[in-house]
Amino acid sequence: MTKRTRLFLAVASGILVVGLGSGLVAAYVGGFQNLTLIGGDGPAELAYVPADSRIVAYADIRDVMGSEVRRKLSAFDQGANDGASKFKEQTGIDLETDIDYVVASTSGMSEPEQGKPPLVLAKGRFDEVRIEGLIRDQGGVVEDYKGARLIVADERKLALVFLEPGLVAIGAADAVRQSIDTKAAGSSVKGNDEVMRLVRDIDDGDAWVVARFDALTGGRLPDAVASQLPPINWLSARGFINSGVEGQLRVETRDETSAKNLQDVVRGFMALGRLQTGQHPEIVEFLNSVQLSGDGKTVSLSFSLPPEMIDALGALRAQRPRPRTTPAAPKPDAAPAL
Amino acid sequence: MTAPPPAQSTSFVTGAWRVFGMSIGEMLWSRRTIFMALVVGSPVLVALVARIVQSAGIAPLRVNGVQVDAVSMFGAMIWILFLSFIVPVLGVFYGTSLIADEVDDKTITYLFTRPVRRGAVVVGKYMAYLLCTALVVLPSVMIVYFLMVPFGQIPASFISLVVDLGVLGLGLAAYGALFALVGAALRRPLIIGLVFVFGWELVTLLLPGYLKRLTLAYYLQPLVPHAMPTGDTVSLLQGALFREPPSVAMSLGCLALAIVASLVLAVRVAEKREYILEQ
Repeated sequence: MTKRTRLFLAVASGILVVGLGSGLVAAYVGGFQNLTLIGGDGPAELAYVPADSRIVAYADIRDVMGSEVRRKLSAFDQGANDGASKFKEQTGIDLETDIDYVVASTSGMSEPEQGKPPLVLAKGRFDEVRIEGLIRDQGGVVEDYKGARLIVADERKLALVFLEPGLVAIGAADAVRQSIDTKAAGSSVKGNDEVMRLVRDIDDGDAWVVARFDALTGGRLPDAVASQLPPINWLSARGFINSGVEGQLRVETRDETSAKNLQDVVRGFMALGRLQTGQHPEIVEFLNSVQLSGDGKTVSLSFSLPPEMIDALGALRAQRPRPRTTPAAPKPDAAPAL
Repeated sequence: MTAPPPAQSTSFVTGAWRVFGMSIGEMLWSRRTIFMALVVGSPVLVALVARIVQSAGIAPLRVNGVQVDAVSMFGAMIWILFLSFIVPVLGVFYGTSLIADEVDDKTITYLFTRPVRRGAVVVGKYMAYLLCTALVVLPSVMIVYFLMVPFGQIPASFISLVVDLGVLGLGLAAYGALFALVGAALRRPLIIGLVFVFGWELVTLLLPGYLKRLTLAYYLQPLVPHAMPTGDTVSLLQGALFREPPSVAMSLGCLALAIVASLVLAVRVAEKREYILEQ
């Protein structure tokens, strides 16, 4: 090998090594957002989610809160942060910085239609003493459940437990207890192949959800719509949020014929949408970004909301007159004389 | 005293290593290098222009009036320039030349009379091809990535880059092995290679049925972490209507099989075939 050959090999290898090294450092600093590409299995907190879960959802709160979209939406709606401020005041949790991500699920025992909240597992930084004090001040009780300190505010609606440092489970008391049992028994949703197959396909999104269709709709669809829809088994969706929003919705039908029928239905709705929104270029642009595709029993719909469209939607929202709270008329001291 | 047969004088690995060391320099500083530099330099140039345009506050690429983000542009370049053009073309030009060039230049006699097995010559040259092309293509991808993707988007896209590098390396290995076999076995291998890449692969990927399984692109495409660009009718047909992509495991398995089978066959052909030099 001549000297110039060695030189070339060294320079080319150097570019590769320096590039990979720089990228690795930058990705490490930024938190390796898409590691799932090399064989993700969903967040580790799925180990607390029961195997019979019918809805599993995830949201990277840090990414969403730090996104340009969120900043724009906050600017359009100044009052939106009031709730977050009050929440921070009460719990010491800053939604923008203290929560990294949340995993939510509903299983057979905590269906939303029964008025019970879903099980929410939040990963972040929490002031455990302050949160416990707050709930106890409001009449909550603390019980020991298999070595964990379960704080119950309302048996049906709110209980929470700190499962690990920086990981809190919130939900109905029985759902929270079940999450402890699930982890101890190793019988989590990670063993549910049907759910995990769908999770693996979408868990690189900033937010995603996998749900049995009937669990998601809960029989609340109008009959006219429900009768038009082919039988759907599973639904999954993911979104990437930064300066715009990119999303993908995937539906698994019972068979291939149903998938084709569903595609026809969606095409029909898209055509109808185009007809009805001709006057609104920003919505037409959105409809143009929608791509419909199908593969076997799966129907996929992807869309993109570019930054310009977010601006347009925000401007529309800003133009909408806010409901004014008119001061109540002073009550007359006495009935007016007729 | 008769000379010992070449196979016994030098082991296969040692022979391949010696041929590798000799061929890498030949390959790098041949006339083809100019072609390779042009082919691989063009995406870098495109990325540089895009970066300059972007720095001036102008969107380098818009689709339906919507600005295309940097990572999507990089993904489109991987699909359109690297995977669909550069990798197959380098595979054809270099792969077919491994043996065919020695035949055309009438220098194969010098190689085959050395105390090295003919198969080791093929393997050594193939390894030289792989290193040479990989060390030209992959740094080019790296430069394009850092030119196009803003620093803030690296955490979200870095793993895609690593996968891209792996896929392109695998593509170079697969196309190179296949065309090394073609070069060792057939006359006019370059024409056959170009017909395969720009005829057979393009057409069969558009058709419904099983013929697409006899292409390398069919197994490489599912490994790409970026969405396939669907700008024109051809890509729309390829991407949406007739796409039945194999699983990642199947793609990797089939590509590995293609590489090993092609190399083994190329070695066998080189050892059995009698190369007749035209006078």
